[in-house]
Amino acid sequence: MASTIHDQMAAAGKVKRSKYLPQGVERLKEEHRKVVKDCRSQFEHWKKVENDYESLQERLRTLPDKLSYDIMVPFGPLAFMPGKLVHTNELTVLLGDNWFAKCSAKQADALVEHRKKHVKNTLDDLQKVMKNFQNRADFTDDLEKLTGDTGDFVDIREEVINEEEVTKAKHRLAHKANSKPKQEYLLDLEEDKEKKEGDEEGTTGVLSEEELWARLDELERQEELQDERYRLDSTDTNGEDTTSSSEEEKEADGGSDVQVNGHQKENGWVPTSITSQMNGTNGSHPEDEEEEDCDEEAGNGLPTIYFSHTAEFKKVRINTGKNTTLKFSERNEQKAQAKRKKKSGKSNGHSPHESYKITSPADIYRVFVDLVNGEPIPRKSILKSRSRENSVCSDTSESSTADFEERRAAFGRSWSHDDATHSDTSDGITEEESPTGTSPHTNGCFEAFTSTVIEKDPLPCSIPHLTIAPPALPTIPERKLEEVGPEAPQEPPKWMSKFKATRLHQK
Amino acid sequence: MAEAIQKKLQAELEKYQQLQKDVSKSMSARQKLEAQLTENNIVKEELALLDIQNTVYKLIGPVLVKQDLDEAKATVSKRLEYINGEIQRYETLLKEMERKSEQHREVLSSLQQEYQRAQGQAVGKV
Repeated sequence: MASTIHDQMAAAGKVKRSKYLPQGVERLKEEHRKVVKDCRSQFEHWKKVENDYESLQERLRTLPDKLSYDIMVPFGPLAFMPGKLVHTNELTVLLGDNWFAKCSAKQADALVEHRKKHVKNTLDDLQKVMKNFQNRADFTDDLEKLTGDTGDFVDIREEVINEEEVTKAKHRLAHKANSKPKQEYLLDLEEDKEKKEGDEEGTTGVLSEEELWARLDELERQEELQDERYRLDSTDTNGEDTTSSSEEEKEADGGSDVQVNGHQKENGWVPTSITSQMNGTNGSHPEDEEEEDCDEEAGNGLPTIYFSHTAEFKKVRINTGKNTTLKFSERNEQKAQAKRKKKSGKSNGHSPHESYKITSPADIYRVFVDLVNGEPIPRKSILKSRSRENSVCSDTSESSTADFEERRAAFGRSWSHDDATHSDTSDGITEEESPTGTSPHTNGCFEAFTSTVIEKDPLPCSIPHLTIAPPALPTIPERKLEEVGPEAPQEPPKWMSKFKATRLHQK
Repeated sequence: MAEAIQKKLQAELEKYQQLQKDVSKSMSARQKLEAQLTENNIVKEELALLDIQNTVYKLIGPVLVKQDLDEAKATVSKRLEYINGEIQRYETLLKEMERKSEQHREVLSSLQQEYQRAQGQAVGKV
């Protein structure tokens, strides 16, 4: 008895049994298709009507030509009889709704014309409806693909582990002018001299040399932070990045691809930098980097890529020049490079390389790229490619998809290796370049402009410069000119900040 | 207890179904009216195309009755107005019925929930 009631209710359409998504989508598509079919049949019908009217008009035009016609008159349903058609110009026209009118052939012609107009309007409406529903059906198809985990859509999620960090960043953005978010951070440090956000270059004051170096390190980290936030800011305004990055996102199913979200990537720098502060500058992220927070296909129906700030980015290709594609090989180096570059770049608020459109300190990161073992390593953010408009990461799609896998493997290899060895911070100079150096080589054949960027002079490691601006510069023209070939020779095995290098050298 | 709820449910369901039928009837009537509306509009326009010389007839049963053109035009206009009025009436009626059916739907759902709960209790008791 209960079941009957339920059935009745279902029949009445009152109780909505929970429809699982595929069923619902199916039903929706059914309905769409039905509507479209109806539209089509109606369209056919009205088309026929229009044709009929056309032939009628023809007849009307020829009818008054003769006074009378000899015809076979239908006599009942089965017989005809010879007869004459007279009064050929006098027609009784049904106007509709039981109204008739006697008129001439020409007047009838006009009436028919008028009716044809109506039919045309109806036809147009039907066309519109059909198209509309067709679009809807297509959209449901897409939607199904989207949620059904069958398309190219990827869900990207970012698990915020450390809420604090994120808040800081946001806080930074929100209160850009009067920013004091770094205060907390500063308090953590052993040396908290500066409370202000502004001077990153460091007003050292009267400090001992050791303190000075420590202070400088601090400031570097602050700069990084700020850069990230600036970049966050600017990425927000650059909508273009996201679209292209989504492409790359698809390719790099490693999931950690920062390219997908420039912010996230950049944010990734920030927390890691924060966490690594204690350990020192460079080699500090092994533990962080190890975190592979990027899961794919996490069961929500869509391939989900869990992005984490600390996630490593496996293969990221960015275009930092005219069609140059860079690859990440090591995060440490990137960071070091970033830091270095930031130091170098920051001094001049607008880098002299206006051509690369550096408008914020963050841009430096993308402009200045270090070469490590022949692999161009973007300093920090991948997305901030200056010539994104030109060659964007669409580059990656064609040329590099094949190489991508190799590189990823290579990257993973080098990665683990690096992690193992990058325990300490101070001396991360030489180490792991070799594996990374070799692996990208194997991937070898980049196309023109999509390959390695070579730094002319390995600045930090061998010769600690205290100059700020110049070291960064040579890289750019180098990069422009470089093609596939020259990888190995000149990479500094590990980037470290000039100051640190100086310090070490002095030690 | 469960039986009582069931009976109530049944009654409510029947009422709801009746209401639904009424709604559909009104709906179809309205559609008919709409068709007539368009037709009469066309007639009106075509009458405008004719001149006084043409004789206009009205079909009343099997008979074609001669009409005056102006008269015909007036009649058609009046009919149009009438049809419009009818459509309005049906509109309001339909809305009213929709509202009532909605109420019934809610009642039905609540009753059903009750019934399910009662059933669950009964099962538990047993």
